[in-house]
Amino acid sequence: MRFWCSTIEAPWSWEFRAYPGIWAAVALLAGPYLWAVRRRRERVGVDPDQARRTRFYIAGVLAFWLATDWPLGLLGASYVAWAHMVQFLLYTLVAAPLMLLGMPEWMGRRILERLRIYRAVSWIARPVPAALIFNALLVFTHSPWAVEVFRASEVGSFAMDVVWLLMGFLLWLPIISPLPEMTRSGPPVKMAYLFLAAGVVPAIPAGFLTFAETPLYSVYELAPRFHGLAAGTDQQIAGLVMKLGGIPIIWGTMLAICVKWLRPAEFSAGTRISGDGTVIPSSSEPDAVA
Amino acid sequence: MARSNPLGRPAGTSPARRLLWPLLLVALVATACSGAAAVPDEGPYAGVELEIPLEKPDITLIDTNGEPWSLRDETEGHLTLLYFGYTNCPDVCPIHLAQLDAVLSRPGMPRNVEVVLVTVDPDRDDPATLRRYLDQFDDDYIGLTGSLADVQAAQIAFGLAVAVEEEDGVFGHGTQVFAFAPDGVAYTVYPQGTRQSHWIEDLPLLDDLDGDQS
Repeated sequence: MRFWCSTIEAPWSWEFRAYPGIWAAVALLAGPYLWAVRRRRERVGVDPDQARRTRFYIAGVLAFWLATDWPLGLLGASYVAWAHMVQFLLYTLVAAPLMLLGMPEWMGRRILERLRIYRAVSWIARPVPAALIFNALLVFTHSPWAVEVFRASEVGSFAMDVVWLLMGFLLWLPIISPLPEMTRSGPPVKMAYLFLAAGVVPAIPAGFLTFAETPLYSVYELAPRFHGLAAGTDQQIAGLVMKLGGIPIIWGTMLAICVKWLRPAEFSAGTRISGDGTVIPSSSEPDAVA
Repeated sequence: MARSNPLGRPAGTSPARRLLWPLLLVALVATACSGAAAVPDEGPYAGVELEIPLEKPDITLIDTNGEPWSLRDETEGHLTLLYFGYTNCPDVCPIHLAQLDAVLSRPGMPRNVEVVLVTVDPDRDDPATLRRYLDQFDDDYIGLTGSLADVQAAQIAFGLAVAVEEEDGVFGHGTQVFAFAPDGVAYTVYPQGTRQSHWIEDLPLLDDLDGDQS
């Protein structure tokens, strides 16, 4: 029995395969979180936002599970390039941001404190370093050499999945970090960051995949065919998935940032309008705003 | 004096150094996982060159129409890619045939090519079964069968070990494609793992080796 999805030579089959290492990873991601949240509630009391956060976090863990386990994990590790790209998008654009949205500030601080990486994370969580490191890792982890070497073994495949999840955290830290000091860039910078880091640059390797004359990845080229899908067609689909698959999330997030930025103050939560039309912020006393 | 961070802890290590260990870990894993085999790249061909070129054996088997089919006569002057496999092969055979289908349908590839599959499992691969199987890839592919003794003799004529049934219905068999140039000689073979780029590189070279040049 294997503990993690990696390249195998057997023909593809829809027969279920168990990967207990992946189940253990899912339990390790979800269990301590739920335990810490419960312990915090017992000590400090009920946090009205925590239920929403817990839903986000668990949804992120489920996305991680979906991307890693059979069938998608095995398809991506061994058979088809399009599954490899879907996995990447799930890790970086779904699982990681959901887990960040679900992480309370106190937990984020405690994790960085325990791991003694607060300064390192603060340094790379700025837009320019985050964009550079994310895209350098993107190019490296999608290079034919890396895919062929890392996916060939369970340890390597595990490492690649972990790196992809960490890349997702890195990409989203400047936007939705649980630590407010890491998201202080203005809305235009955040939008430009997302556009360049997750929209424009990844389209370049995606273009190579779509328009390459021959299959780039020997793993998928020489794999037993998945429902007769030709290697070249598979690679073109993979390129399109990489190029277009992130658009709804990236552009949706940019739109949300833009709307929030341009939203007039009177539509902000908690504001009131006085009888003469004056906007009264939620923190102000009515007679102080005249 | 050590600077403190917002967590109230002294910070004595630079951020770059904090990032070093994951990079080292990745490098270590990559080193541990490496060792992928490659097709030898010496000489003019991407395929594996035969130390002693193989003249096309004179074999006659049964084609998918049920008629006798002579390899030498039927493929004379053609670039001929011949492979021993079987229709129930779970891995190598369909990959080779799909690779050739993808390569030969590309513009710029020689048109003067015959692809021949000789079954090593004649008990199950009758002419009709072979035809149905090959049509999944290309209906111009040629399938050959015969008596067990005949297909075993054919393998021996190519210098191969005779295929044996290793487990229920699965055969161990030679996994290389023999590439006979139009001059009737195989200078190269293409083992399991041959990539489309290797075929694209070699087929025009092999197609140029007609009898006048050799």
